[in-house]
Amino acid sequence: MTAHIWGVGSSAFGKQPGRSTAALAWEAVGEAMSDAGVRRFDAVYVGNVFGEPGMAARALLGLGIHGLPVHTLESACASSAAALAEAKHAVESGRHETVLVLGLEHLTSRFAGALPAEPRDFEGRSGLATPAMYAMAARRYLDVHGVTAEQLAKVAVKNQGHGMGNPRAQYRNRVTVDEVLASRMISDPLTLLQCCSLSDAAAALVVGPRRRTARDVAVAAAEYTTGGLWDHTSEHVWGFELARDTAARAYERSGIGPADADLFEVHDAFTIGEIVSTEALGLAAVGEGARLLDTGHTALGGKQPVNPSGGLLSRGHPVGATGAAQACEAVWQLRGEAAGRQVEGARAAVIETLGGGVGLMDGNACVVAVLTR
Amino acid sequence: MPSTEPAPVDPRPRVSPVDGVFGVDGYRCAACAYPVAIAVAVCPSCQGPVEPARFGPDGTVWSSTVLRIPVPGRPAPYVVAYVDLHGGPRVLAHVGGDRHLPVGTPVRLTAPGPGGDVTVSTR
Repeated sequence: MTAHIWGVGSSAFGKQPGRSTAALAWEAVGEAMSDAGVRRFDAVYVGNVFGEPGMAARALLGLGIHGLPVHTLESACASSAAALAEAKHAVESGRHETVLVLGLEHLTSRFAGALPAEPRDFEGRSGLATPAMYAMAARRYLDVHGVTAEQLAKVAVKNQGHGMGNPRAQYRNRVTVDEVLASRMISDPLTLLQCCSLSDAAAALVVGPRRRTARDVAVAAAEYTTGGLWDHTSEHVWGFELARDTAARAYERSGIGPADADLFEVHDAFTIGEIVSTEALGLAAVGEGARLLDTGHTALGGKQPVNPSGGLLSRGHPVGATGAAQACEAVWQLRGEAAGRQVEGARAAVIETLGGGVGLMDGNACVVAVLTR
Repeated sequence: MPSTEPAPVDPRPRVSPVDGVFGVDGYRCAACAYPVAIAVAVCPSCQGPVEPARFGPDGTVWSSTVLRIPVPGRPAPYVVAYVDLHGGPRVLAHVGGDRHLPVGTPVRLTAPGPGGDVTVSTR
């Protein structure tokens, strides 16, 4: 038996300091419940990183959802994607029948600027903020593979363009390569428009057994793992091997390979992230990922669009909510409901969420899921 | 105003001078010789026992960047690099100046920064 997504929903994405975390959850879960035609659940799997203890259970109370297990999972940026992986397993193993997955994050009530460096982590204590972590990956990648800053910027141009068709996206701007490169330098070589910014949002999925409806989407695979060692022997930038190996397992489990997928939602928290992700997912050989942007292969209208939603760069990156948001987009695409950014005839979608953090580790966590109709 | 936040244990690698030469006081696996710069319970690679080991002072830049946004307690900009210490682990280090170091630049450990950061300079 394969778990299916019965319904999806999300809040708008963006800086929403005037809205409570609970209100974001009500919007997302309310939409998902209507979409699925379900109002009762056996369990809830929550993905969240920076929230206060008990946040999810209190938010659910306002929806009349209480008296059930609420499991909150923290796996950095992959938190709600990990929640989807757990929900799939819970349904398929018979532990629970109808399960709610909720990704929830309210960053603007926590932080003013970039996510702070964690003082309990040895690299965070040394001042390694997230943009610098990705910037060193980008610097290494550009130098080793001869990729240009212009090619890197094309990721932002493509995904901002895709976001123009997504009414829920945080940023909807047509930008050029020159504008991306001329925006303020954050951490060389990454400029402001190549970095995701703070976002508040919730995204929800109703997961249950197969119902043979026309609208349900199969979770053919949802593989989750933490990174292995990233050390003095590592040739690749951090996160590559973790994503590659997680994807290999998801492909094997689903029987869907990289050539079979019609669209991808991948972890473009920074522009370099999309290039490395597309290589890890098998769309291009190592060092060749930027060519996908040159040829238009991964743009809407191309053979295999990547981040038709606008990705993390345009839709926004409410850390713990991102994986569920990617799954929402995949479901809308597979049902043909993604007006303004629809990948025509999409039958299979792949999502990849990579939890950041180096420090001897090849990324905190990665989830690769394959969704099919 | 003094911070009321409790200061967590400093998790950074320790750097000390021996006869005026700086090195990282880390650990090496007694079974597989895997080097690690930070405190661990056992070897992260093979779970063998680790014993104290010293790494440095020479290394090579794996990558480097200039962070131009402020991080609490740190005025921007500042330069950081991943440095592969010869025969030792890859460590995050601060670099003086205001430019990133190209991949492959030879560097050497110097005295830790005032706050205790691992620091390198070009050789």
